[in-house]
Amino acid sequence: MPTALRSTLIQFLTLAGCALLAAVLSNAVATPTRRLFWKPVVRALPPLAPPLLKEREPEAPITAPTPVVPAETRKAVPSPSAWTKPGPSVTSPTATVAEPPPSVPIREITAGEAWKAFQAGTPFLDARRSAEYADGHVAGAWSTPVWEADVDDRLLSFKAARRPGADDPIVIYCSGGDCRDSHLLATKLLNEGYFHLLIFRDGYPAWVAQGHPIEKGQP
Amino acid sequence: MSPWLRHPRLTLAVRVVLGLVFIAAALPKIIDPPGFAKAIWAYELFPTWSLNPLALTLPWLELFCGLALCLGIWVRAAAGWVGTLLLAFCLALSINLAKRHPVDCGCFGATAHKTESERLADMRWSILRDTGLLLLVAQVLWASHAANRSATTDGQQV
Repeated sequence: MPTALRSTLIQFLTLAGCALLAAVLSNAVATPTRRLFWKPVVRALPPLAPPLLKEREPEAPITAPTPVVPAETRKAVPSPSAWTKPGPSVTSPTATVAEPPPSVPIREITAGEAWKAFQAGTPFLDARRSAEYADGHVAGAWSTPVWEADVDDRLLSFKAARRPGADDPIVIYCSGGDCRDSHLLATKLLNEGYFHLLIFRDGYPAWVAQGHPIEKGQP
Repeated sequence: MSPWLRHPRLTLAVRVVLGLVFIAAALPKIIDPPGFAKAIWAYELFPTWSLNPLALTLPWLELFCGLALCLGIWVRAAAGWVGTLLLAFCLALSINLAKRHPVDCGCFGATAHKTESERLADMRWSILRDTGLLLLVAQVLWASHAANRSATTDGQQV
């Protein structure tokens, strides 16, 4: 092998090695919201059931500015139990939803169904990035960013606080459109044994457009 | 090929432009690896075990290659990597475009939410841009090869 080619090849491999080393070091010191696991992570999309036609409702017209509920005034607004995050002593608050046990473990729901679930006190999980959650989220929703390294810790906090049964409904949402973070989170929860997972298909933009309650800030 | 195409000033300008583009592309991805992992996942071309290692390593490789090109260090190796990456990006975009599967390019970090047709149009522009950058890589490699050969010839004559 010519000397010039050999030295170029060595430089080529050295550049790759430096990149790998820098990646390891930077990931080691990154905050949980910016960190990734090196080990394989399941990223499979679940089989889905469509929204129930009988539960579809004409959706409210798009209204202008959505009421942002500041944390201190949250109690003053007429709200379902889901607006606050009850402690571990609460006994399966999710069981209050009238929806029968599902025939399929993961189902997409419309904005109307999501609103009904919200009023019934069903917990909402926000699968978007934590920065997006901080910019605005469904009132009382839990931040469980499926792409961030601390998603398992956040899910543990949610489970400890709400103690959802395996067949209790859980609403998961992200940004609507082609966002599939909620589907990924649903797969994760399905693998953990939950089988009444409702994906709010149109996600946060539809929630905002309908003027439903939102909050801002970190969890 | 015309000698002006391997004029040292032109080669310097091309190197610096390429380097700056790759530095600019690397920084948002280094700052937010989960966002880049999500962008790679959307392409549906890579096995899941490779997503996170790719998302962590590729941006640093882009940064080091960009710096090497700007500083004129290990130019052929850096240009080789940049060319390889650009070919891979073009291929990944083309496959998804052929499948009419709109994806966020992820080239300079995550972009705002767009409609499917906007995404498809962006993908075409990205392929065009990457092809243009590949031409710049070809110029750098060719000029560096020519310079290397003339240096060897001069050495033999002395």
